[in-house]
Parts: sequence; C-alpha cells; structure tokens
Amino acid sequence: MWRLNRVRLKAGRLGDGLAELRLKRREHEKALRQARRDRQLVSKRLLLTEDEEQREVTMDTASGQQDLVDLLCKVQHSGPERGTHLKALSKALRDPSEQLTFIKQENSVNLLVSLLTGSNAQCRLHAARCLHELSHSPHTNVAPACLPATPYLLTFLSGQSTKFTELCLYTLGNLFPDSDVVKDKLLAQGIIPALANCIENQKHNLAVVEAAAFSLTQLLQAKDAAEKIIPKVLASSLPSQLLSVLNPDPNFGLAPAIECAWCLHYLACSDGNGELLALGALSHCSSLLMSLGGAVAEGNKEEGMELLVCPLLRCVGNLVSCCPVDSLSTQVGDVRLVAALCALIKAYLHTQPALARESAWVLNNLTAHSTDFCSALLTLNLVPGLIQLLPFSQGINTMILRVLANVAHKKKESCLQLAQLGLLSTLCATLKMADQEMVTLSLEILFMLVIGRPQVADEFVRLSGVSLLEAIQYNSEGEMRRRAAYLLEHHLLSHSADCTVDNVP
Amino acid sequence: MTASGNCPTGTTEERELPFSFTPQLFHLHKDHEDGDIHRHMYLQDLYVSGADDEPALSVSEFACHISGCSAVFSALEEYEHHYNSLHRHVCCSCRRSLPSARLLDIHIQEWHDSLFTVLAQRQDMYQCLVEGCGQKFRTSKHRKDHLIRIHKYPPDFRFDKTKKDRGTREAKRPQQKDTAMEVADDVCESEGVCEVMCDVLSEQRELGETMETLVEEEAARMTKPAATMEHTDLSAAFDGNGCTSSETFKTQYSYRVPTTVCFGHSSVRGFRGRRGRRK
Repeated sequence: MWRLNRVRLKAGRLGDGLAELRLKRREHEKALRQARRDRQLVSKRLLLTEDEEQREVTMDTASGQQDLVDLLCKVQHSGPERGTHLKALSKALRDPSEQLTFIKQENSVNLLVSLLTGSNAQCRLHAARCLHELSHSPHTNVAPACLPATPYLLTFLSGQSTKFTELCLYTLGNLFPDSDVVKDKLLAQGIIPALANCIENQKHNLAVVEAAAFSLTQLLQAKDAAEKIIPKVLASSLPSQLLSVLNPDPNFGLAPAIECAWCLHYLACSDGNGELLALGALSHCSSLLMSLGGAVAEGNKEEGMELLVCPLLRCVGNLVSCCPVDSLSTQVGDVRLVAALCALIKAYLHTQPALARESAWVLNNLTAHSTDFCSALLTLNLVPGLIQLLPFSQGINTMILRVLANVAHKKKESCLQLAQLGLLSTLCATLKMADQEMVTLSLEILFMLVIGRPQVADEFVRLSGVSLLEAIQYNSEGEMRRRAAYLLEHHLLSHSADCTVDNVP
Repeated sequence: MTASGNCPTGTTEERELPFSFTPQLFHLHKDHEDGDIHRHMYLQDLYVSGADDEPALSVSEFACHISGCSAVFSALEEYEHHYNSLHRHVCCSCRRSLPSARLLDIHIQEWHDSLFTVLAQRQDMYQCLVEGCGQKFRTSKHRKDHLIRIHKYPPDFRFDKTKKDRGTREAKRPQQKDTAMEVADDVCESEGVCEVMCDVLSEQRELGETMETLVEEEAARMTKPAATMEHTDLSAAFDGNGCTSSETFKTQYSYRVPTTVCFGHSSVRGFRGRRGRRK
C-alpha cells in the first residue's frame, strides 16, 4: 500500500538537505521527460518490507553484505535455517548488481520457483519477495530470467493470502514492460482474466485493488496495447470493476482510485471509448470529479488530490469529445460539473497550471456543442470568474477564451449578457496580447458580440476600441487585418460617424 | 476584405466574412505531458505534493500590433504608453511619429504641402510650436530663435543642432540611418521640431528622459538592415519631396499595407469620418 505521507516524511526528515532533495527531484523530472520523449517511460513499484514500513527507512544494502553466492548455497541446502537465509537473500537482491549476479547463477530462479510453490509458507513469502526485488531491477535482462515463475505468480492471484497476492501483483506489473518476450508470455498465460478475477474477488481489500490496478496500467501503457491488449481488457469485466472501485475510501486514501483512474484514462484514449460510455464511465468519473471539485471549493484540498484529478480530467475530457451531443447531458449526469471544473481551475492555477489548463480543456469540450452546458455556465454565474482568468498564459487563457467563444456561438441570446459581465472590456486588453491566438479569438468573439447589437458596438467604441482595431489594421497577419477592417467598416465606424456628425456644430 | 464598404446584398457580405470561429473538440493523447511526469514521479516515490519548485504561473505579455514593431510589454499601461507615444499621430507620407495631432498637422503642412512651400516664400508661415502663442515666422530658424528667446527653450535643444551636429548625435545609430537622416534634413528642416516637442512634452508630463529614450530605442529596435525589396512598394506612394530617402528610415508599418488604408489625410490619429469611402 502506498501512503503519500511517506513521501512527505522523507522530505521533511532531511532538514537542510532539502535543497539537494529538490535538485535531485528536478534531475529526476528531467530524466523522466527525456524518457517520455524517447517513448521509454516506464515506472516500477517497490513494495517495502514490513520492517521497512514500520521503521519507515529503506534498508541499507551496502552494510553487512553477505556474499550472494554463499547465501544461495545456503538456501539450496534445506534445513530449519532456510527461511532465514532466504530472507537475507531477498535483502541482498535489493542491490542491482547483485541482481545480475543472481540470474547468472545456474538454476537460481528455478530454485526460487520451487520454494515459491513449496510447502513452507514462510519460504513461499520470502521467495516471492526475492522475485519482487528482481522484478524491480533497472536491468532489462533480469525480467526474462524470471519467466519460469510467472505462471505461478498468476495462479496465486486468486489465492487467499492478500499480502502474498499483493506482492505477486506488483511483481507481475514490474516484469511486464521489460521485454516483448515477457509481454507475450504473460498475455498468453492469461494475465488479463487473472487480473479481472483478482479485482472481482478481492474488491474489498483496497491494497490488493491498488496493486492490481497498477499492474493493469503497466499493461495498458505498452506500445502495442491498442491492438493486443486493450480490446481484451474492454471485453473483460475489468472496466466495470474499475468503475465500481473508483470512489476513494476516506480511510484508505486516494491510492487505489488513482490507479483505477489511470487505467480508465488509458482506455479512454483508445478507440474503445464507446464501450466505456456504455458502461456509464462518463457519469462515474464526472460525479467523482464533482465531489473533488466541491471539496476544493470548500477548501478541503487533500494532499495528493491532483494525482487523482489529473487522470479523471483526461478521462472525462476524452470521453466527452467522443460522446454524441444529444446524449451528453444524460451521460455526464449533472451540468453542475462545470462549476466543479471552475473550482479546480482556481484551486490549481498557481500550483499546477497544467492541471488548470486541462480543466479548462474539459470545459471547452463540454461547451463546444452543448447548449445545456453553455447555459449552465451562465446560470451558475461562472462567467465573471472565468473572465478573471484571461491574463494567465501557458495555454490557460486561450482555452478559456475558447470556452467563452463557445457560449457566445451556441447561445447568441447570451451575447449581451456576456458583454455586460465584463467580457467586452476584457477584450480591450486581450486584443493587445502578444499571443496571436488570443488576438484572433478576441476578434472572433468581438464579432459575435457586436453583430446585430448596436449598443454593444457603442460601448466598445466608448472603451476606445476603435483605435485598438485601427492598430490591428497594421498587423503583419492578413487574417488579423481583415477581421479588424471588417469590424470597423461594418459595425463600428457607422456608429462613430453618426456620433461625430451629431456632435459637429 | 476589400476597401470598398458597399456590400449591396447580404449574401455577398456573408461570403466575404473573415470570421471563422467554430467550437472545436480536442482529444488528448495518451502520452500527454506534465500530468504523466507527476504520475511517474509518484510511482517512483519521488513525488511531493505541493512542491514549491513547481513552474510558476505566467501572465500573457502584450505586444505592439504594428507590423515591424517588435515591442513587447508585461503591463497594459506600458503598451498604451508605447502605442500612444509612437504610433498615434503618424504621418502617412513619411511615417514619422509626432507627439500630438497639432504637431502632426504642422509637420504635414511644412513637409508635405507644396502650397505651403510656395506661400512661405512670400509670407510668414512657420507657426510657433507653443500652443496659444499664434506667432508666425518667415523661416524655421526664426521660429527656433523665438522659441529660445521668448519661450525659454534651452539653447542646446535638439532643434538647435546643425546638420553636422545631427550627424554626431545620430552616430550611435547604424550607419545607414545617418545618411538617411542627413539627406532628409536637407529638405525637411523641421524634422527637429518633432523631437523638440517630444522633449518639451516629456518635461511637461514629467516623464523625463523616458519618452525620448523610448522613441530612440523603439526606432532603433525597428531598424531592419536590408529590406530593399520592400522599399519599392512605397516609392510610388511618396511625393518627390525628398521623402523617398526616408524610405531607409525604418518604417514601423507593414509595407504591404497600401496607403489607401490610411485614414484621412496623412494621419492615423483615429477616425474622423473624412474617409469618404463609405457611401
């Protein structure tokens, strides 16, 4: 089971090493981004031992090292001490170089397999622990060496010992991405149905659910997942299982929901989102998002909530983009989702701007073709709040301007209201921005606001909008010039002409 | 969009509409950035919630629209100031920016009005630049003297400089520009006037050096070394009055915008209803 607290404790204890920790983390981030660019982004999870969990220190593998080969010999000879030696062996296998040494020893893995399936329960556990340490290896040639163990690991998924099951799940999840040979074998051995059964039978053990969902994410991130894996997953009971365990447990925390949400996100990215929609995935995810949004609006931002919000947003956003418009409202269930999204934007604006942007993205997809959601933005009085977000860049203001444009486009009768709520005066600022997209969108919205509404045109003129547009007529982009010119000629100058004619004595 | 404002039928107008916004759906790819990075950091036990070294939220910058002007601002007031200082009262013929509508009028009159040149031979045509004074002089030098003596302008004011002095003052600008300025100075003597008023007004507004520097900086920034191709478009638009040489004065506007787009007579100071193109 993962506890986010652990991470915080780690950081807190280091005291003045905090700066180094930050530096290290930044380096890790860079490495992750590079790995992503190379499409090699794979993460493994290490389940700590009970000792480590209790003491909350990771074990120091450097000190008190017994010779690995020696240990192996001791394990090979049966006797009452076997369990102790096996445990020591599992500790030694934390070290990556020892992992390599181990697999080079003849029959070393086979030995583990025999112990894994033997009659001694303690030895089974320790053997599984050894395999788990091996699965976490950074060396990709270790995983294929562990293949003899996989059919047994899969079998144990339907066993009764939950701790054991958890260990096996993470081991399988770690092994999967390392090589195609391993992938093919595991798929052939039935890892997908095994995971489905596991979640179904162990639904109430959230640690197991978390582990199983994690392993599933490993499967779903494979490069060829779309062809080989996702169809099978969609055909199984896994999607509905995931949806049923999506809601976070107040005692256990967010971790299982996080894993489930990422699974659903990977599935929603695929062509199979029709199946997901049919299962009510959009409704489930939306309602969870709504409760999270409600929580942040009240100031209850649980630590690590963004790790759950992120995959949920992506899931909802992608499902909305492929949901037929006429069933969108029913599929989502509650139009007040837009309020939750606005709350999320505000909550994460400064700390996680990317998350704020993605919330705005979901708003865009909701309002693009649906009158219901556009209306909701107005009736729930969310527009002024959105207008206040228009100074912020990194893609946030462009997306929000799109949302507002959607509303103006979809509900022409709301244009006057939008103008009066402050959009018109804000446009006078956004029209001056360096971002071309902002200026273009602003011109488009301005057009929608003034067309057929002379009072809006007058107000814009009063706000010195005319000189603004005149400046745009000297913009290097022809599209900009044309738009500005059109607005001046057809909607604004006529009014000004009337005004000056009247004023000339 | 054409310059003509006459669109007889509604359908023609719709066909010519330059507006194309339609709501769009966006689909996010599986390997979308940032959120995935945090996810993997969490998996690898590296994630710290609410870490304070997160990327800071940034605010959109503002940028001057005028093609060729690459000025960028972090605050709206800076933009306004820039635009109002440099791009408002601009002479269409020679693209010089004047600080006020009145000075623009004077400039146009004295630089680009051949009738003025004719009349100036016989009568006092050079107006005092100080508003309200109303006096007129036979030559620009007389006016200069008047400004120093009566209105107490400092003797080392810009307009006081001779052609030689101007050359040294402009020395910090690229060589090309010096030539341009000098040549222009031959014919358009009152050029110094513009910068004079810049100084005066800046003092009046207590802006100190900023405005003046801004003009120079902006002008320098707008310098584009070799844009010979683009000059040809404009040469036809200029009258012969030596302003052809000011082509090398780096313009602030897109060369592709024809002068017919210019509002009114030689000014971009804003709409005055004098375009006469509408009906």
